[in-house]
Amino acid sequence: MKISLDVVLKDVPGQLVRALEPISQYGGNIISIVHLREELTGGRVPVHVTIEVDPQKLDKILRELEERDIWVSKVGEVRKKENIKVILIGHIVDTDARDTIDRINEIKGAMVADLALAMPHPEKESSARMDIEVSGPDAAKKVMARLEKIASEKKFIIIKSINAFGDIK
Amino acid sequence: MKIQLIGFGNIGQGFARVLLGKAGYLKKRHGLDVKVVSISDITGTAVDKNGIDLRRALSVMQKTRKIINYPGAKKLSGLEAIEAIDADVVIEATPSSIETGEPGLSHMLAAMKNKKHVVTSNKGPLALKFKKLKETSKKNNVMFRFEASVGGAMPIINLANEMLSGDEIYAIEGILNGTTNYILSRMTKEESSFDIVLREVQELGIAEADPSYDIDGVDTASKLVILANAIMGIDATYKDVKIQGIRKITPEAIKLAKEDGYVIKLIGEVKNGNLEVAPRLVPVNHPLNVEGILNVALLRADIAGDITIVGKGAGAIETNSAILSDLISIWRNARS
Repeated sequence: MKISLDVVLKDVPGQLVRALEPISQYGGNIISIVHLREELTGGRVPVHVTIEVDPQKLDKILRELEERDIWVSKVGEVRKKENIKVILIGHIVDTDARDTIDRINEIKGAMVADLALAMPHPEKESSARMDIEVSGPDAAKKVMARLEKIASEKKFIIIKSINAFGDIK
Repeated sequence: MKIQLIGFGNIGQGFARVLLGKAGYLKKRHGLDVKVVSISDITGTAVDKNGIDLRRALSVMQKTRKIINYPGAKKLSGLEAIEAIDADVVIEATPSSIETGEPGLSHMLAAMKNKKHVVTSNKGPLALKFKKLKETSKKNNVMFRFEASVGGAMPIINLANEMLSGDEIYAIEGILNGTTNYILSRMTKEESSFDIVLREVQELGIAEADPSYDIDGVDTASKLVILANAIMGIDATYKDVKIQGIRKITPEAIKLAKEDGYVIKLIGEVKNGNLEVAPRLVPVNHPLNVEGILNVALLRADIAGDITIVGKGAGAIETNSAILSDLISIWRNARS
């Protein structure tokens, strides 16, 4: 699991190493360290650390940091956003574009982030490019299934992207 | 090696032409002496156990379009010729039918039962009855080769099965139809409508008068079935493919894709046991983005990783590169 830690260190040499030791001790992999020196207050510097770690080891790391008098001000899971891109062809506006978007947004972890629409003529079929942000493979699968359902109801053609997220197991 | 040619249209005549040019090379490089002992078309069969004069056969076709006018030709059907005439290999190159697979299917099965190896470019019978054909060839202890049935000159089947024989191919994606690729490439370049481009392409002779076979994805689906069977060992037939063609692609959709760094291509893919033909968004810098009449296939191999192969997917001469390589391979295997 990818975890972000906001730690606050005393502004004296050797503090960063002391903070990182418990992470490596419990098998955590450090992905990035950002030193926020400009936010130095009361002789302490905030540091933003992103690590990849077994979730079961996280508590041990946090306890060890506490024992070392290193303040952890925030712990959060980093979720990588994925993007699904599709093009729809059909009577997109006439079949209630709002409804199409709402039904995708209803899915937990999914959100329509962008919609570009081209309508050559009110009576002709229109085309739309849709970007949908999803939180992970489960949401992606649900989005694709929902899109297929909407497409068959509203007689759209869906053009999916190759290697669409969640395509390959 | 004695060969019977069944079907003497574009591909069959292309074979005769290629053989005329290559006979010396085949003899010198491979020690292979090819003799065409019969040529059949719908009108009859030209027979000569010492080898048909291919120049003469081609000229008869040019003048009369009927092989029955070849000197001494007999009123034998392809099937009768396979039963009656002694030969080592049957090249089956009759027109493909996705409805029945005939007459190709009967020709291939008869050839195998008569202990003749089969080389073919004919997709229909394979897309419908791959398993039966494969089993019949095994039972009769003959070789069955069909590289020319997918991707013309592009050596995809033999590449996967011979060069990558230690790899498991877990997915295949590709552009397997040159006509649709040409239409979509033109629509992308010119931002014109499908109907206009199709009409132009028909005038150029790239698309058939009845283009549905290409643009509705039938041809791509047939090839996909062959790849799924031959490379991935999936027992699928044409009916298992989910198909969407390109008729409904709008210039606006292509433009929206382009603005975002994508092109729209008719892609056939086998993945997780599913076979699907559909227009897909392909990033412009992706290896599957090839233009014009070219075909491309991406093999996903468990050890080698991704392997992409690009080539000419059709053409009477190019397709015979695949037929010739299958013949040579049969010749080598039969000798060892």
